[in-house]
Amino acid sequence: MISGPNRLIRIGFALLLGLVLAACGAKQVVVQGNFPPPLMEKTPLTLGVVYTESFKTHEIYDEAAGREETDWLVKTGSAQVEFWDTLFTGMFTEVVHIDSHDALHAVEDEVDAVIIPYVEDLQYTIPLHTNVKVYEIWMKYRFRLVTMDAIHDHGNGELTYNPNQSLADWTLSAYGKTPTAFLQSDEEAVNLAAVVALRDAGANFATSFHRVPAVAEWLDTRNTITELPAPVTASVEESSTSEESSTSEESSTSEESSTVDESTADDEGTTST
Amino acid sequence: MTIAGSHGVVWLAGQARWGLTVAALMLLGLLQGCVTATVDEMTFLEPTEGIGDSSVVILGRRHAPDYETEFDFIECIGDHIRRGDNSITVLHELEFINMMYPWFEPRTAPLGPQDIDRLMAQEPVANQFSNIKLEYMIWIDGSTIETNSSGSMTCGVGPGGAGCFGFGTWGNASEYEATIWDFTDQTEVGRISTNTSGQSYMPAVVVPIPIIAPVQGTACDSLGDQLLQYLSATR
Repeated sequence: MISGPNRLIRIGFALLLGLVLAACGAKQVVVQGNFPPPLMEKTPLTLGVVYTESFKTHEIYDEAAGREETDWLVKTGSAQVEFWDTLFTGMFTEVVHIDSHDALHAVEDEVDAVIIPYVEDLQYTIPLHTNVKVYEIWMKYRFRLVTMDAIHDHGNGELTYNPNQSLADWTLSAYGKTPTAFLQSDEEAVNLAAVVALRDAGANFATSFHRVPAVAEWLDTRNTITELPAPVTASVEESSTSEESSTSEESSTSEESSTVDESTADDEGTTST
Repeated sequence: MTIAGSHGVVWLAGQARWGLTVAALMLLGLLQGCVTATVDEMTFLEPTEGIGDSSVVILGRRHAPDYETEFDFIECIGDHIRRGDNSITVLHELEFINMMYPWFEPRTAPLGPQDIDRLMAQEPVANQFSNIKLEYMIWIDGSTIETNSSGSMTCGVGPGGAGCFGFGTWGNASEYEATIWDFTDQTEVGRISTNTSGQSYMPAVVVPIPIIAPVQGTACDSLGDQLLQYLSATR
């Protein structure tokens, strides 16, 4: 039987060991935030949404380069899904999730188009050389808008789409910075920067969706035009959007079909510090 | 009894010494570094009878790449106006931004009163503005930065205790400009700017004693006073 003081010493030692080990481990952040719905007139569309597995579980792992640094694991997947769900629901009259072949067949006749978002790139800066906890995050998204006919299932639960049936394919960038440097842990600071970046991505998407040339053209053919005020920084964003957007005809991909999880977009986040 | 009594005297003397030390520390704590403030004001079309049951929102500019107007500074000005005249409804900045999402994010926020028209073209946005009865939109642009720092301090811990020795000093400077938009008339009705600077000190003989210059606080009070004077019916 262990006597009282010995037991306390053992517990103390275990706690100390735990603290030492914890200090050696990676810092982990599961991004969480409250995302407001957009205040705008809904576009009269029934939009199907496919969140790929890599989008739903998106995370970045940054291995420490030196002894002074720490490994970082930032999981943005669940926050991405929550955020884009809120945004799409506020922007379109109806939003339908397509996550399986059953769901695909159930909504085949109702959906006007299907949107597939990808996180193409994610970079962040760590304030290594300052004591100020201000982190910055850049995200680059790729959106593919395809017709329902373009989505197929091969009976094994895997959804694929034909890139030649894309209505539009465009990229969009977002930026977020920790809004305040005071009284925050590193994890809170990274979380806040990610939330700000998500909000910025939403603002960019909401104000530019109707102005993506291929989307505008498609909406025009459907007589679904919604006038939106241009964002103040439109000149920069607009040019990058139009430069990088392409219609299915302009698409350089030669694949016959590609799975939604194995798109030409590199959905794995990369980091730089 | 005698022994016990002498112990009591020593105890009392020890207490008095500690009391004096604490009092001295408190006095030093009350000392503040000096701050210089300059305020410039150019306003017109002042509301002669106050703003009634309408509301005001104070927002920070955050679209510049190298600085952001601090959220706590905006909150400080809002609190200053509420304290000065509780009849003025000042909307909370973050609540307003969330309520209006995505139209007041750094990339989408209107840069001039002429942009309000474009926002009002959206029916849900126009309805929201009507619900909150917004009369004035005040944009604050600027930030507080550290201008210089010097000195050194050494701290140590030993079996007998811990302590620091040295001297540090640093300067802060604030530069803010408030632009007032009359939301109903969609015009700019004034600009108030404030520049403040101050030097803080931290001498340390065993215990570090910070003598902080409240640079941002003074900027908040200066700008808050002028805005209160503009908006309040009781000026």
